[in-house]
Amino acid sequence: MTGVWVVLAVLAAATVLGFLLRGRDGRVRRSKPAADLPAQVRDLIDPASPVTLVQLSTTFCAPCRHTRVILSDLASRTDGLEHRELDLTDMPEVATSLKVLRTPTTVAYGPDGAELLRVGGVPRRDVLVEALRPHLA
Amino acid sequence: MSASQIDPRGPRFGAWITTVVLAVVLATGWWPLLAAQTVVFAIGGFLGLQHAPYGLLYRRFVAPRLGPTDEREDAAPPQFAQTVGFAFALVGTVGYVSGLTVLGTVATALALVAAFLNAAFAFCLGCEMYLIIRRFAPATGK
Repeated sequence: MTGVWVVLAVLAAATVLGFLLRGRDGRVRRSKPAADLPAQVRDLIDPASPVTLVQLSTTFCAPCRHTRVILSDLASRTDGLEHRELDLTDMPEVATSLKVLRTPTTVAYGPDGAELLRVGGVPRRDVLVEALRPHLA
Repeated sequence: MSASQIDPRGPRFGAWITTVVLAVVLATGWWPLLAAQTVVFAIGGFLGLQHAPYGLLYRRFVAPRLGPTDEREDAAPPQFAQTVGFAFALVGTVGYVSGLTVLGTVATALALVAAFLNAAFAFCLGCEMYLIIRRFAPATGK
């Protein structure tokens, strides 16, 4: 009988985890500036653009595709906003130095390479636009 | 690696079956069922999703009732998740068979959490955590 209780406890825990993960999805976080920006990321930042969104993806990430669609559309409609994508599948060391644990993670950089904010999971368009507004003005 | 596109409802259907199977294993500790699930994971993960047993069930019996969809998703993420499931199910089976019941229970419970999140929340834990997995197993073959 204990086995059934174990199953129920595991499913309850998984349900809580599911709602937590769903709640975190698309939330904007302000992050401390990274000391050393990896060259792969630095090369992507457009020094002429006020904000570059660097989307970190892997081959094995289904929501990365949705994120790509949202961000490339947003960037094409927004002045001063660029979107780049970096596939970390074969460079986990870049993920380590950026402290990225899940994909997609989108990091917004200023023209000088300063990290402005980051978003885990599929970004919510309105939330992201609001958070980027002061940096695009 | 195949760049093939699949009906995203297929892996969701498979995740529900996997959830039920793993729940039964966890409740009963009946290791032959976990061994069978390990084989199912291995087929989907290593031979490709087009051979995955639950995928065959989906295409044969479920898809015709649901009707066609234009929605497509990349096959690589769910296929990778099958190999992660395989690793956990294998450890779980070894645990139950060798008498390390705690190991079997923990591995099965973790696999159940991942399958349930996939089924109920469409959240592919193995896919999003690829970078963490990669840190522990740097030589993951593709």
